[in-house]
Amino acid sequence: MTEKKQKKKKRGGIVGFFQDFTYGMATHGMARHAVKTRSSMEHLFILITMGDMLGVPILPPYYSLRLLPHVVPQITTWKRRMLREKDFVDSLY
Amino acid sequence: MSSVVVFVFWAVIIIVGYFLYSKWVDTTIFRSDSKRATPAKMYMDGVDFMPANKNILYGFQLNSIAGAAPIIGPIIALQWGWLPAVLWLGFGVLFIGWVQDYTSCMMSVRSDGDTFGALSYRLISPRARLILLTFVYFYLLLIAAAFGNVISKLLSTKAVLPFPMLVIVAVSLLVGQMIYRWRVNILITTVVAVAAIFIGIGLGGYIQIPGSFTAMLIALLIFGYFSSILPVWRFIQPFNYASVYVVYGGIIAGVVGLLIAHKPITLPAYTSFSIGMGPLWPLLFVTIACGAISGWHSLVSSTGTSRQIENEVDVRPVTGGAMFAEFTIAIIAVVICATAFADSSQYIATALKNPAGVFTTGLASAMATIGIPASYGGAYAGCMILILAMTVVNLVFRFMKVATAELLGDHIGVAKNPHVATIVAAVLAFILIQTGTFTHVWVLFGGSNQLMAGLALLLVTLFLASKAQSYTFVALPMLFMYITTVAALVYKSVELLSKVIMGTVAGTVLIGNLIAGLIGVVLVICALILAWDGYKAFKKYTAEKVKGAVKTPA
Repeated sequence: MTEKKQKKKKRGGIVGFFQDFTYGMATHGMARHAVKTRSSMEHLFILITMGDMLGVPILPPYYSLRLLPHVVPQITTWKRRMLREKDFVDSLY
Repeated sequence: MSSVVVFVFWAVIIIVGYFLYSKWVDTTIFRSDSKRATPAKMYMDGVDFMPANKNILYGFQLNSIAGAAPIIGPIIALQWGWLPAVLWLGFGVLFIGWVQDYTSCMMSVRSDGDTFGALSYRLISPRARLILLTFVYFYLLLIAAAFGNVISKLLSTKAVLPFPMLVIVAVSLLVGQMIYRWRVNILITTVVAVAAIFIGIGLGGYIQIPGSFTAMLIALLIFGYFSSILPVWRFIQPFNYASVYVVYGGIIAGVVGLLIAHKPITLPAYTSFSIGMGPLWPLLFVTIACGAISGWHSLVSSTGTSRQIENEVDVRPVTGGAMFAEFTIAIIAVVICATAFADSSQYIATALKNPAGVFTTGLASAMATIGIPASYGGAYAGCMILILAMTVVNLVFRFMKVATAELLGDHIGVAKNPHVATIVAAVLAFILIQTGTFTHVWVLFGGSNQLMAGLALLLVTLFLASKAQSYTFVALPMLFMYITTVAALVYKSVELLSKVIMGTVAGTVLIGNLIAGLIGVVLVICALILAWDGYKAFKKYTAEKVKGAVKTPA
């Protein structure tokens, strides 16, 4: 049995439902908030290196180059988050 | 009359509503397609847009929509008799409640995860967004006032409750510290937190803290201020986490107790069309909000949930399923209260003044049948309802802070200051609670909540009309909700303001009537403007359909 199938089997059934349900009730909101906090930190992190990517050095190039490999994988999703239209209701949940 | 009748009715509604009607709408009108990419998959950014398992989302949705309102509302509405309350709960959730939750989520899923602000701008009119924001601000203020009143009343009338609540607040701070700072295992943290809370509830009987209504209200508003200012991980999230176990322990104990005891219903099935609070229509339909239908759910469904739906087919079990679960909570509350009193005079004596106290008595009585001592059961039930109300109050002050900055931030710079915005919200809530009569505030809260549901259904109607899809199953509930809630708000505003104009009230009551009445007027004006703009948009979409617009999938 593959690892994927084992994982699927483990999550199924009534026990799996209650595990997921309890996680959803008690912890999912906390996990989402932790991810949102991390994302706001990433905004700052990416903005530090953004200047170099646009050709306007802000930090000494040495530090930008050290940070760049960490930033590159997040650029796509970061663009989506930054460019998406937001309004008041977004802050509710 | 045995309470079994109510449970049979509950089962019929669940079967017809969830297993038949919702499935029909899902498969024939929205035609949910498991192969269609959802916004969570298309725009996955790992933050807002993130696919989640349907069971997890079901728990998340239920936790987000379930507050104290499905308990408090039916308790107050039992004055018209238990039959009207149960019928409105059943038929409300069957034809309107789940429809709103499901369609709000589906509309957002089919609109790239857009929320109500963007959708009202696009589907109704550019000014609709600003009006919606104004509406939401007063809606939040009424929530704070209604729940603040319930909390302060319960804390000031039951001296055994303040100490356990202080323990829960302290435990919440500790949980936040343990999880996020000390990185303690979540299981250990949970065991420590739950044990401390249960012991704290027991100690409440020995360490009683009496206090006046005003003192408890001020304590609550200070608590709300810190909830708004502190980082979410520091207090709100740990508070919600630690208290989930208390709430659902209470529900399980209550259900088991009810099933074992199966007491007869002692309250009358029907009293009168017109009672002290007002006529059954429209007031019953706004007094019972959550449990039958609630506008709050549409906000949750169209923001957090719609952006995490992994598969369109999951929308029905997640949103519809959670709505029927909340309906179940409301039915349990009705049965608990309808069976707890020897006769209706006992219920009438406390229901209007302290509805949470009625529930506390009822749940303690149900818990006693499974061997939980009445003193502990009473304290436990009190804490449970306080937790349900406080989780909402926590969030409301945070949202009002954001809404103040959005509404006034461009014109008044200080409105962007989180401390100022929170204090303004707290002061407004304090004035409304101290001067307003609870039942009036509750009706206005219910009216604004149900009107929010009407607005959500209006948006869905326009969305379906813009796609040339069948919209009758949403439009009819929308018209019913709109007419009923506007009628309730007009009735209550006229009642309050006429007393001010005629000079039959004075002092703080006059101020309370004036403020509550004016809030009702503002809500009605907002609703009428949105209805007018919505009507014009509806005519535009239906004219396009007549011209031969291509029918597109909703």
